[in-house]
Amino acid sequence: MSVLELNGRIFDASTTGTLTLTGEGGAATTDVTQGLAKAWIDHTQITTSAIRDSLNISSITDVATGKTFPIAFTNNMSSSSYAGSLYASANTSDGYTTFNNQLAGGLGSKTTASFGHSGYSTGFVDSIRNDDIIQGDLA
Amino acid sequence: MIETPEFQGTHLWNRLSWAKENLEMYRSEYCVVYEDSMDECAKVLHPDPNWMACALQGGILPPVSSYWELKKDEAKPDFVKHTRGPELLHNMKPIGPMTEEEAIEYLIMKDVPESVWREWDKGNQPKMVICKKEQLPPTREWRNAWKIDPELKVAA
Repeated sequence: MSVLELNGRIFDASTTGTLTLTGEGGAATTDVTQGLAKAWIDHTQITTSAIRDSLNISSITDVATGKTFPIAFTNNMSSSSYAGSLYASANTSDGYTTFNNQLAGGLGSKTTASFGHSGYSTGFVDSIRNDDIIQGDLA
Repeated sequence: MIETPEFQGTHLWNRLSWAKENLEMYRSEYCVVYEDSMDECAKVLHPDPNWMACALQGGILPPVSSYWELKKDEAKPDFVKHTRGPELLHNMKPIGPMTEEEAIEYLIMKDVPESVWREWDKGNQPKMVICKKEQLPPTREWRNAWKIDPELKVAA
Protein backbone atom coordinates (compact mmCIF):
# COMPACT_ATOMS: atom_id res chain seq x y z
CA MET A 1 0.00 0.00 0.00
CA SER A 2 1.34 3.42 -0.88
CA VAL A 3 1.80 5.88 1.98
CA LEU A 4 2.37 9.61 1.67
CA GLU A 5 3.77 11.64 4.56
CA LEU A 6 3.16 15.35 4.35
CA ASN A 7 4.05 17.80 7.10
CA GLY A 8 4.02 14.94 9.59
CA ARG A 9 0.58 13.73 8.48
CA ILE A 10 0.30 10.20 7.07
CA PHE A 11 -1.95 9.58 4.08
CA ASP A 12 -2.85 6.03 3.08
CA ALA A 13 -5.94 4.14 1.88
CA SER A 14 -7.58 4.59 5.28
CA THR A 15 -7.18 8.37 5.35
CA THR A 16 -10.41 10.30 5.53
CA GLY A 17 -11.15 13.99 5.18
CA THR A 18 -9.73 16.36 2.63
CA LEU A 19 -6.16 17.14 1.65
CA THR A 20 -5.29 20.82 1.63
CA LEU A 21 -2.05 22.19 0.21
CA THR A 22 -0.59 25.65 -0.16
CA GLY A 23 -1.74 26.97 -3.51
CA GLU A 24 0.09 28.77 -6.31
CA GLY A 25 1.80 31.89 -5.07
CA GLY A 26 1.81 30.63 -1.50
CA ALA A 27 -0.83 33.03 -0.25
CA ALA A 28 -3.70 30.62 0.21
CA THR A 29 -4.43 26.91 0.56
CA THR A 30 -6.06 24.78 -2.10
CA ASP A 31 -8.31 21.77 -1.49
CA VAL A 32 -6.80 18.93 -3.51
CA THR A 33 -9.70 16.56 -2.84
CA GLN A 34 -12.16 18.90 -4.54
CA GLY A 35 -9.98 18.98 -7.63
CA LEU A 36 -9.70 15.25 -8.16
CA ALA A 37 -11.54 13.38 -10.90
CA LYS A 38 -13.85 11.07 -8.94
CA ALA A 39 -14.54 8.78 -11.90
CA TRP A 40 -13.23 8.33 -15.41
CA ILE A 41 -13.63 5.84 -18.22
CA ASP A 42 -12.18 5.08 -21.63
CA HIS A 43 -14.44 2.78 -23.63
CA THR A 44 -15.33 1.76 -27.17
CA GLN A 45 -18.70 1.26 -28.82
CA ILE A 46 -17.29 -0.51 -31.87
CA THR A 47 -17.87 -4.24 -32.42
CA THR A 48 -18.36 -5.41 -28.84
CA SER A 49 -18.55 -2.53 -26.40
CA ALA A 50 -15.64 -2.71 -24.03
CA ILE A 51 -14.06 -0.74 -21.24
CA ARG A 52 -10.34 -0.15 -21.80
CA ASP A 53 -9.75 1.30 -18.34
CA SER A 54 -11.58 3.27 -15.69
CA LEU A 55 -11.84 4.37 -12.10
CA ASN A 56 -14.96 4.09 -9.95
CA ILE A 57 -17.10 2.43 -12.65
CA SER A 58 -18.96 -0.87 -12.19
CA SER A 59 -20.49 -1.40 -15.64
CA ILE A 60 -21.57 0.17 -18.90
CA THR A 61 -24.70 -0.69 -20.86
CA ASP A 62 -24.79 -0.56 -24.64
CA VAL A 63 -28.31 0.71 -25.33
CA ALA A 64 -28.20 1.27 -29.08
CA THR A 65 -25.98 2.72 -31.77
CA GLY A 66 -23.94 5.54 -30.24
CA LYS A 67 -25.67 5.33 -26.86
CA THR A 68 -24.20 4.05 -23.59
CA PHE A 69 -26.47 4.27 -20.56
CA PRO A 70 -26.08 3.77 -17.70
CA ILE A 71 -22.41 4.14 -17.00
CA ALA A 72 -22.67 3.12 -13.36
CA PHE A 73 -20.52 4.31 -10.46
CA THR A 74 -19.18 1.98 -7.77
CA ASN A 75 -19.02 4.83 -5.25
CA ASN A 76 -22.12 6.97 -5.80
CA MET A 77 -21.84 10.72 -6.13
CA SER A 78 -23.48 12.64 -3.29
CA SER A 79 -25.97 14.42 -5.57
CA SER A 80 -26.71 14.56 -9.28
CA SER A 81 -25.16 18.04 -9.44
CA TYR A 82 -21.70 16.93 -10.47
CA ALA A 83 -19.77 17.94 -13.56
CA GLY A 84 -18.76 15.74 -16.44
CA SER A 85 -16.85 16.17 -19.65
CA LEU A 86 -16.71 13.81 -22.59
CA TYR A 87 -14.97 13.09 -25.82
CA ALA A 88 -16.39 10.82 -28.52
CA SER A 89 -14.46 10.33 -31.73
CA ALA A 90 -17.58 9.42 -33.74
CA ASN A 91 -15.30 7.40 -35.92
CA THR A 92 -14.00 3.86 -36.26
CA SER A 93 -10.41 5.08 -36.11
CA ASP A 94 -8.87 6.72 -33.06
CA GLY A 95 -6.18 8.86 -34.63
CA TYR A 96 -6.12 12.43 -33.36
CA THR A 97 -7.13 13.73 -36.79
CA THR A 98 -10.00 11.29 -37.36
CA PHE A 99 -12.68 12.91 -35.24
CA ASN A 100 -16.02 13.69 -36.82
CA ASN A 101 -16.43 17.38 -37.44
CA GLN A 102 -20.20 17.24 -37.11
CA LEU A 103 -20.15 15.42 -33.78
CA ALA A 104 -22.35 16.51 -30.94
CA GLY A 105 -21.73 14.45 -27.85
CA GLY A 106 -24.11 14.08 -24.95
CA LEU A 107 -23.28 13.46 -21.30
CA GLY A 108 -26.35 13.50 -19.12
CA SER A 109 -29.24 11.62 -17.51
CA LYS A 110 -27.23 12.06 -14.34
CA THR A 111 -28.22 10.38 -11.09
CA THR A 112 -26.01 9.77 -8.09
CA ALA A 113 -25.56 6.21 -9.35
CA SER A 114 -24.85 6.70 -13.05
CA PHE A 115 -24.81 8.87 -16.15
CA GLY A 116 -25.23 8.41 -19.88
CA HIS A 117 -23.00 9.07 -22.88
CA SER A 118 -23.90 9.43 -26.55
CA GLY A 119 -22.31 10.47 -29.80
CA TYR A 120 -24.28 12.10 -32.60
CA SER A 121 -23.35 13.22 -36.08
CA THR A 122 -26.06 13.07 -38.72
CA GLY A 123 -27.52 10.37 -36.50
CA PHE A 124 -26.33 8.52 -33.43
CA VAL A 125 -22.98 7.01 -34.23
CA ASP A 126 -20.70 4.46 -32.56
CA SER A 127 -17.26 5.71 -31.59
CA ILE A 128 -14.08 3.75 -31.11
CA ARG A 129 -12.90 6.30 -28.56
CA ASN A 130 -15.16 7.53 -25.76
CA ASP A 131 -13.65 9.31 -22.77
CA ASP A 132 -15.64 10.60 -19.78
CA ILE A 133 -14.35 12.43 -16.72
CA ILE A 134 -16.52 13.12 -13.65
CA GLN A 135 -15.76 15.66 -10.94
CA GLY A 136 -17.80 16.57 -7.90
CA ASP A 137 -18.60 15.29 -4.42
CA LEU A 138 -18.78 11.61 -3.54
CA ALA A 139 -21.46 10.10 -1.31
CA MET B 1 -2.48 -13.24 -4.39
CA ILE B 2 -2.20 -9.93 -2.55
CA GLU B 3 -4.12 -9.69 0.71
CA THR B 4 -6.86 -7.09 0.99
CA PRO B 5 -6.26 -4.68 3.89
CA GLU B 6 -8.97 -4.40 6.54
CA PHE B 7 -11.13 -1.88 4.72
CA GLN B 8 -14.24 -1.53 6.88
CA GLY B 9 -14.41 2.17 7.72
CA THR B 10 -12.19 3.18 4.79
CA HIS B 11 -13.83 5.39 2.16
CA LEU B 12 -14.96 3.17 -0.74
CA TRP B 13 -13.29 5.45 -3.27
CA ASN B 14 -9.97 4.99 -1.48
CA ARG B 15 -10.47 1.23 -1.66
CA LEU B 16 -11.03 1.51 -5.42
CA SER B 17 -7.84 3.52 -5.72
CA TRP B 18 -5.99 0.80 -3.79
CA ALA B 19 -7.47 -1.84 -6.09
CA LYS B 20 -6.48 0.13 -9.17
CA GLU B 21 -2.92 0.18 -7.95
CA ASN B 22 -2.69 -3.39 -6.69
CA LEU B 23 -5.07 -5.64 -8.66
CA GLU B 24 -4.95 -6.82 -12.26
CA MET B 25 -8.03 -5.97 -14.32
CA TYR B 26 -10.26 -8.97 -14.95
CA ARG B 27 -12.03 -8.94 -18.31
CA SER B 28 -15.10 -11.14 -17.97
CA GLU B 29 -16.20 -13.09 -21.01
CA TYR B 30 -19.81 -12.61 -19.88
CA CYS B 31 -22.29 -9.86 -20.56
CA VAL B 32 -25.95 -9.39 -19.66
CA VAL B 33 -28.54 -8.86 -22.39
CA TYR B 34 -31.90 -7.51 -21.27
CA GLU B 35 -35.05 -5.84 -22.54
CA ASP B 36 -36.98 -3.39 -20.40
CA SER B 37 -39.26 -2.04 -23.08
CA MET B 38 -41.04 -3.83 -25.90
CA ASP B 39 -40.50 -0.79 -28.10
CA GLU B 40 -36.74 -0.71 -27.70
CA CYS B 41 -33.92 -2.97 -28.79
CA ALA B 42 -32.04 -5.23 -26.39
CA LYS B 43 -29.55 -3.60 -24.03
CA VAL B 44 -26.18 -5.15 -23.24
CA LEU B 45 -24.45 -4.65 -19.89
CA HIS B 46 -20.69 -5.09 -19.80
CA PRO B 47 -18.91 -5.49 -16.45
CA ASP B 48 -16.05 -3.12 -15.75
CA PRO B 49 -12.72 -5.03 -15.54
CA ASN B 50 -11.49 -3.03 -12.52
CA TRP B 51 -14.79 -3.65 -10.72
CA MET B 52 -14.57 -7.37 -11.55
CA ALA B 53 -11.10 -7.47 -9.99
CA CYS B 54 -12.55 -5.95 -6.79
CA ALA B 55 -15.43 -8.44 -6.76
CA LEU B 56 -13.18 -11.46 -7.18
CA GLN B 57 -10.65 -10.17 -4.65
CA GLY B 58 -13.17 -9.60 -1.84
CA GLY B 59 -13.08 -7.24 1.11
CA ILE B 60 -13.59 -4.12 -1.04
CA LEU B 61 -17.21 -3.78 -2.17
CA PRO B 62 -20.22 -3.13 0.09
CA PRO B 63 -23.22 -5.48 -0.01
CA VAL B 64 -25.52 -4.80 -2.96
CA SER B 65 -28.29 -3.84 -0.53
CA SER B 66 -26.33 -0.64 0.20
CA TYR B 67 -27.01 0.50 -3.36
CA TRP B 68 -30.71 -0.32 -3.03
CA GLU B 69 -30.88 1.87 0.07
CA LEU B 70 -29.14 4.75 -1.71
CA LYS B 71 -31.56 4.39 -4.60
CA LYS B 72 -34.51 4.56 -2.22
CA ASP B 73 -33.07 7.70 -0.64
CA GLU B 74 -32.59 9.34 -4.03
CA ALA B 75 -36.18 8.54 -5.02
CA LYS B 76 -37.58 10.54 -2.12
CA PRO B 77 -39.20 13.79 -3.27
CA ASP B 78 -37.20 15.91 -0.82
CA PHE B 79 -33.84 14.34 -1.77
CA VAL B 80 -31.02 16.84 -2.15
CA LYS B 81 -27.88 14.82 -1.48
CA HIS B 82 -26.90 11.54 0.10
CA THR B 83 -26.27 11.59 3.84
CA ARG B 84 -25.96 7.85 4.39
CA GLY B 85 -22.83 7.28 2.27
CA PRO B 86 -20.59 6.61 5.30
CA GLU B 87 -23.14 4.23 6.82
CA LEU B 88 -23.94 2.32 3.64
CA LEU B 89 -20.73 2.42 1.61
CA HIS B 90 -17.73 3.13 3.81
CA ASN B 91 -18.53 1.75 7.26
CA MET B 92 -20.56 -1.28 6.15
CA LYS B 93 -18.60 -4.53 6.38
CA PRO B 94 -17.28 -5.30 2.88
CA ILE B 95 -18.39 -8.55 1.31
CA GLY B 96 -15.98 -11.41 0.72
CA PRO B 97 -14.62 -12.73 -2.58
CA MET B 98 -17.16 -13.70 -5.23
CA THR B 99 -16.96 -16.15 -8.09
CA GLU B 100 -17.31 -14.66 -11.56
CA GLU B 101 -20.90 -15.90 -11.71
CA GLU B 102 -21.73 -14.38 -8.31
CA ALA B 103 -20.14 -11.11 -9.38
CA ILE B 104 -22.32 -10.95 -12.50
CA GLU B 105 -25.42 -11.65 -10.38
CA TYR B 106 -24.40 -8.86 -7.96
CA LEU B 107 -23.90 -6.50 -10.89
CA ILE B 108 -27.31 -7.35 -12.30
CA MET B 109 -28.94 -6.49 -8.99
CA LYS B 110 -26.93 -3.25 -8.84
CA ASP B 111 -27.04 -1.90 -12.40
CA VAL B 112 -29.99 -3.53 -14.20
CA PRO B 113 -33.49 -2.13 -13.57
CA GLU B 114 -35.17 -4.02 -10.75
CA SER B 115 -38.27 -4.55 -12.88
CA VAL B 116 -36.13 -6.67 -15.20
CA TRP B 117 -34.15 -8.84 -12.77
CA ARG B 118 -37.00 -9.43 -10.32
CA GLU B 119 -39.16 -11.02 -13.02
CA TRP B 120 -36.63 -11.93 -15.67
CA ASP B 121 -38.29 -15.31 -16.43
CA LYS B 122 -41.93 -14.27 -16.09
CA GLY B 123 -44.05 -13.75 -19.17
CA ASN B 124 -43.95 -15.39 -22.56
CA GLN B 125 -40.23 -15.03 -23.13
CA PRO B 126 -37.14 -14.22 -21.04
CA LYS B 127 -36.38 -10.55 -20.47
CA MET B 128 -32.77 -11.12 -19.51
CA VAL B 129 -29.98 -13.46 -20.56
CA ILE B 130 -26.41 -13.89 -19.33
CA CYS B 131 -24.27 -14.89 -22.28
CA LYS B 132 -20.72 -14.89 -23.54
CA LYS B 133 -19.65 -11.88 -25.56
CA GLU B 134 -18.85 -14.19 -28.48
CA GLN B 135 -22.57 -15.01 -28.64
CA LEU B 136 -23.43 -11.39 -29.51
CA PRO B 137 -23.78 -10.46 -33.18
CA PRO B 138 -20.25 -10.05 -34.58
CA THR B 139 -20.86 -6.62 -36.08
CA ARG B 140 -22.83 -3.50 -35.10
CA GLU B 141 -24.96 -3.72 -38.23
CA TRP B 142 -28.66 -3.59 -37.31
CA ARG B 143 -27.66 -2.83 -33.69
CA ASN B 144 -30.93 -0.98 -33.11
CA ALA B 145 -32.90 -4.11 -34.01
CA TRP B 146 -31.20 -6.53 -31.63
CA LYS B 147 -33.73 -8.54 -29.61
CA ILE B 148 -33.51 -11.59 -27.37
CA ASP B 149 -34.45 -14.69 -29.37
CA PRO B 150 -38.04 -15.51 -28.31
CA GLU B 151 -37.31 -19.19 -28.91
CA LEU B 152 -34.52 -19.16 -26.34
CA LYS B 153 -34.79 -21.95 -23.80
CA VAL B 154 -34.31 -20.75 -20.24
CA ALA B 155 -32.06 -22.84 -18.02
CA ALA B 156 -33.51 -23.62 -14.63
